[in-house]
Amino acid sequence: MHISEGVLSGGVLVAGWAGTLVGISIGLKKTETEKIVKTALISSAFFLASLVHIKIGVSSTHLSLIAPVGLILGQAVFPAVFVALLLQALLFHFGGLLVLGANTFTMAFSALITHIIFSRLIRDSRKKFSLIFISFIAGTFAVIFAAFLTGLFLYFSDKNFINAIKILMFAHIPLALFEGIATAFLILWLKKVSPEFLS
Amino acid sequence: MKMKKFLIGLILIGLIFFYESEIFAHGVGYRQSNFRAIPLEFFYSTGEKMSYREAKVFSPKDSKFAAQTGRTDEEGRFAFIPDCVGEWRVIVRDEEGHQCEAKINVDNLSANELEFDNNNLPQGFEIFIRALLGVSLIFNLALIIKIRKRNQNAH
Repeated sequence: MHISEGVLSGGVLVAGWAGTLVGISIGLKKTETEKIVKTALISSAFFLASLVHIKIGVSSTHLSLIAPVGLILGQAVFPAVFVALLLQALLFHFGGLLVLGANTFTMAFSALITHIIFSRLIRDSRKKFSLIFISFIAGTFAVIFAAFLTGLFLYFSDKNFINAIKILMFAHIPLALFEGIATAFLILWLKKVSPEFLS
Repeated sequence: MKMKKFLIGLILIGLIFFYESEIFAHGVGYRQSNFRAIPLEFFYSTGEKMSYREAKVFSPKDSKFAAQTGRTDEEGRFAFIPDCVGEWRVIVRDEEGHQCEAKINVDNLSANELEFDNNNLPQGFEIFIRALLGVSLIFNLALIIKIRKRNQNAH
């Protein structure tokens, strides 16, 4: 879901950076000292998830874990995603440095919205089936919302991207379903083993 | 009389050949050429091949409009034939937004020298080392933030 360097217009790049910087400053302020190690752990998982490629037909994609990152970290998601994406750009040439602001905003804002909508529902769900179902929907929603935001960035850069945006949205459906399943299993496991991660 | 028939036959054959050559002018054909193509292989930093990805070739004469478009094959390979000297760019991208740009300096059209701006992509064990370095950097950064926050709280 990384937008490549040289695709977005100057104004959209600035908007992406502005949103990201606001998110990072709020995230750093609101993150309690004892939750910093947890944030680093989730940031590392997010950083490493990009290396896991999944074959879908002739195409392939990689895990993003947007929903679990949002559900676990809440407001600390912006600094965690920013650091992970920065290192992905520097060490693995994913995305780029100029477009880092837009890429961070796309992923982190989707994760944050997922947290706002689904975290309480997941915390309060007592039945195993409802937990799996809500987590699956959260995982799917996060990817679709991130793809939608990516589409918005592309659209405001150049209206001629409309066909590319349609392809982008369609291409993310298999990933969204896969992330939904991964999120469901991960949340189910966390709720059993370490429920404080979701608190 | 025989001569007359022979001439009429000759004219008819001539007309048929003329008509056929008109048909051939609108048809299609092929021949094997000796042009030297530049083959490239595209892959992710994880070593996975960029199979069936959109590829665009930009000539040194026109950096905006692609001189050639197509897709890589199953092995992530793509080839093009340069027709002028200068820096040629081949951009391969996927639906996820990953993009690989190869820059090839063509000095002369008979012996092309290949230069890539991204041939330093990690492969094999180096991926593991870089992943480890990334995780280490994240935890070091977290430690710095934690110490700073603790100091701020102490004051």
